[in-house]
Amino acid sequence: MKKRFKAISQLVAVFATGLITLSSCISDPDSSGLEYTPDMYRSPAVEPYVDYGQVRNEINDSLKVLQSSLRPPHETIPYFGTDAEYVSMMLPYHRKASSAANVSHGLYEKEGWMLSDSLNTEYEKAKADKNPIELTEANSEEIFKEGKRIYSSKCQHCHGEKGDGQGQMMVNGTYVGVPDYKNLQDLGDGQIFYSIYYGKGAMGAHSMLINKKEIWTLVHYVNKFRFDDYGNFDVEEAPVADSLNTNEEVSDSLESAQ
Amino acid sequence: MFNKGNNWLFALMSALILISANPSSAQDGEALFNSKCATCHQPHKDMTGPKLYEVRQKWEEGGAKEGSIYQWVKNFQVAKANDPYANEVSAWSPTSMTIFADLNNEQIDAIFDYVDAQPLSSEGGGGEQVASTGGSGQKEETSLGWIWYVLAGIFIVIILSVGGVRRQLSNIDSDEEYQKTYADEIRTWMFRNRKSVGVGVLVIVLAIIVGVLLQLGQIGVLSAYQPSQPIQFPHDIHAGENDIDCKYCHNSADKSKTAGIPTVNVCMNCHKQIQGNETQAEQIAKIYEAAGFSPEGGGQYSGETENLVWNKVHVLPDHVYFNHSQHVVVGGIDCKQCHGDMTKQNELPRVVPVEELNEIDGNIQLTKPTLTMGWCIECHGEKEIANGPVEGKGGYYDEIHKRLLENDKSLYQDYLEDGKVTVKELGGWECAKCHY
Repeated sequence: MKKRFKAISQLVAVFATGLITLSSCISDPDSSGLEYTPDMYRSPAVEPYVDYGQVRNEINDSLKVLQSSLRPPHETIPYFGTDAEYVSMMLPYHRKASSAANVSHGLYEKEGWMLSDSLNTEYEKAKADKNPIELTEANSEEIFKEGKRIYSSKCQHCHGEKGDGQGQMMVNGTYVGVPDYKNLQDLGDGQIFYSIYYGKGAMGAHSMLINKKEIWTLVHYVNKFRFDDYGNFDVEEAPVADSLNTNEEVSDSLESAQ
Repeated sequence: MFNKGNNWLFALMSALILISANPSSAQDGEALFNSKCATCHQPHKDMTGPKLYEVRQKWEEGGAKEGSIYQWVKNFQVAKANDPYANEVSAWSPTSMTIFADLNNEQIDAIFDYVDAQPLSSEGGGGEQVASTGGSGQKEETSLGWIWYVLAGIFIVIILSVGGVRRQLSNIDSDEEYQKTYADEIRTWMFRNRKSVGVGVLVIVLAIIVGVLLQLGQIGVLSAYQPSQPIQFPHDIHAGENDIDCKYCHNSADKSKTAGIPTVNVCMNCHKQIQGNETQAEQIAKIYEAAGFSPEGGGQYSGETENLVWNKVHVLPDHVYFNHSQHVVVGGIDCKQCHGDMTKQNELPRVVPVEELNEIDGNIQLTKPTLTMGWCIECHGEKEIANGPVEGKGGYYDEIHKRLLENDKSLYQDYLEDGKVTVKELGGWECAKCHY
């Protein structure tokens, strides 16, 4: 009798430990739980943020997650279709980053960034760059609408809805030092593009968040804050091009000063 | 008479000058500082440029030539060439000072006067006022749970020891050779009450079967799934208090299948400056470590980066296809329809249960658990796309709408009866839309 009781109690003990181990597997807070058919739940290909480290049906723990966050091969570019104008706009930016951009903004050459030899010459040269998206009476409404869409999600929390540098982060005192666009009258379009693309001062590079077409659209939208009559086609001729050309002399003199 | 008048005039003039001189220069200083300097310099904190508080004294003590600080502001390269101290200062950061050729000495003095007048307490650290409220409630709950376990343990010990004492007493009492064990006692007790024991066993077995079946139904349902993360990221401070758009960090939500987990360089766009208070600094230091950034002396990147591995929260099986851009851009669905109100989420992100989603204003009311197929197709059956955000933009959906409305209406009578076109009626319930 005693023997049988011992056997039963042993069985119960084994069963209980098994259950507890199993339930601890399920109750692991980081596990998303049991799956009915893992081969249908788990992609053999590496999906974004999902990487089981699976190589030829074997799970290799040391490879987990590593493969889903690799950079594209150096100097590859996305396919931008066959529209020549669009493709030329989207080709890699021809201006290099400041020579100190690696230390100041984390743009290291080993990660595919192109650094110039000097601190500011590329930035000064960018003053003469023209916006490839031409603002006309026909497209201005659409461009400003698109600009507002991008601005409200990528810029507004710091630069403010009206471009006065009074975004919610500034109002809260979380962040300091965002300028009012009104004070940036003497910048060229290309310099605004350069600053958004590579970052400037406290602002980081935004070229990973928005593509070149979106940045050029933003340049139009930001110009609306800088110049009261920007994109206002009721007045005889828009002062868009004028404000750019007058700056060329200044940039030349600055370059010689360097 | 004349003299008196002259005196009056003089007094008035001098008073005016006295009144106007000081505030106007202070105001000038403030305006100039904000428009020229504030993007890189702060009074009490090193940013892109060094802090400017009492910088004139600092230069004097450092052995700078007289007036070279003004030269530095106007054109730092001239000052660098003329003054060894200025040359030393230029090595503070690899970036360079901007040239302000249009400022004169009085204006520069006005700026420095304004900066020196700034009290130390106004130092902007960011987010100090935020007390972390999350976590405490959960802790209380878990500690209460442990008390129950401890109480249960104590009761079991009491019952067993009382039983043992009783058994030994009865053993002494009966004087038999064979000593009764627990098992014998239980068996006799069970035999005596065999009817109620039988019913009890039946109930327990049935309960176990039902429980197992219910548990099987819960497999793959991720309601309230909240995995740990490398950084205790508070969504409420970012998206709520500071009003940062969801799509700033999750920037591929309108372009791609995945919404995107931001890489550290996106964090660094703000956290290069924001170092947080004591509790936050610990978490923010993890970003710095991953980005290879050291905040000292205006901040420098070392180029030695590390991976931050986040745990995916909304896990979808491979056999279902979901695309964020389709829902965000074409469907015009707000993030909170599926992810809840993240502007109030202080704790780590989780799969928000459907009951909580239903409480949010403007959300389509659903009943099935979040992230299950029932939940998806329920929404596809409810969501209207006529008069939706894509109407009037031309293309695919306009064409389908036109066909629906212009072709033989009797074919679509059922669909158009209620006067609305839902996702389901445009094929949103077809298997191959999501499973292929």
